[in-house]
Amino acid sequence: MGYVQAGYSIVLGILFLYGLQLVWRRRRLNRSVARVVASDAAAVGLTVDTAGARHADAPGVGRPSGDR
Amino acid sequence: MSTNQHVPAPPVQSRRSLWTTRIIGITALVATAFTVWLGLWVTPPDQVQGNLVRLVYIHPGVAWVALYLAFGLAALASVLYLWPRTRSLYWDRLAAAAVEVGVVFNVCTLISGSIWGKPTWGVWWAWDARLTSTAVLLVLFLGYLALRRVPAEPEVRAKRSAFVALFAAVDIPIVHFSVLWWKTLHQGATVLNANLSPTIHGSMAWTLLLGFIALTLVFVWMLLVRYRIGVLEDWLGTGELDVALRERQAEGAGLDDDEAAA
Repeated sequence: MGYVQAGYSIVLGILFLYGLQLVWRRRRLNRSVARVVASDAAAVGLTVDTAGARHADAPGVGRPSGDR
Repeated sequence: MSTNQHVPAPPVQSRRSLWTTRIIGITALVATAFTVWLGLWVTPPDQVQGNLVRLVYIHPGVAWVALYLAFGLAALASVLYLWPRTRSLYWDRLAAAAVEVGVVFNVCTLISGSIWGKPTWGVWWAWDARLTSTAVLLVLFLGYLALRRVPAEPEVRAKRSAFVALFAAVDIPIVHFSVLWWKTLHQGATVLNANLSPTIHGSMAWTLLLGFIALTLVFVWMLLVRYRIGVLEDWLGTGELDVALRERQAEGAGLDDDEAAA
């Protein structure tokens, strides 16, 4: 039963740690985006359009046709 | 404040998409917990393998996700990127996300198989066709991930990555049919065999099925989160260095504002 317990612990442990790392990376990037948006807006005195969230000039947003 | 200029909109995630990801994550967690409970405490030991059969409830599941779902999806997304009519960085991001998650599942496949192999075959590793082709698959997709870190324009990186993914994907059918093409230590298919008649029954079969579903859900959740990370990284500027620079700039701007306010 020792091998079984080790197998479950290692596999589930790896998946759990990777999942945790994904959440941490996403949170860090979300914070960076918020900071960049706030600083860009403050620098040029603009309001930021967060409602549309899909512009041809916004690289990497969803699946814009501008990607092609 | 009104404006006649436009700051590129941030990649806002819709509430619906956020909740879909959360629900899939919670369902995956519950399904995995049930699989562990059934696999370790409820199902009976096997007549031949004894308690070692319990590893079978997770090992084929992680292998299914790595080989067929993750790397299969990466190959499909790469074809769609290379096809001129469907070319979009969306497919490149999806392939990259699938490969990264697939590599983690591939590592889990090799480790769980090795842990099962030691008490069964007497060795942690054998240069068996199934094991070796699975290890080669891991190395090929690690190469894919390494190639993506080479600085290049997004389109150039996407194109060369797609070619590498398709080259690596040639190994997927080799892994699958290795137990038929060569005389291997590794057993043949339990469920998807030539006669399509599973050689596992009762609570063992249901636990195995639940294991497949649970690990598939874990993969879908990880894929969604990893894809989102790709979107955010692209918006901030490709490459971790760019991201770090933009973060520092943002922090600097924040400090300037504080000083001005003081």
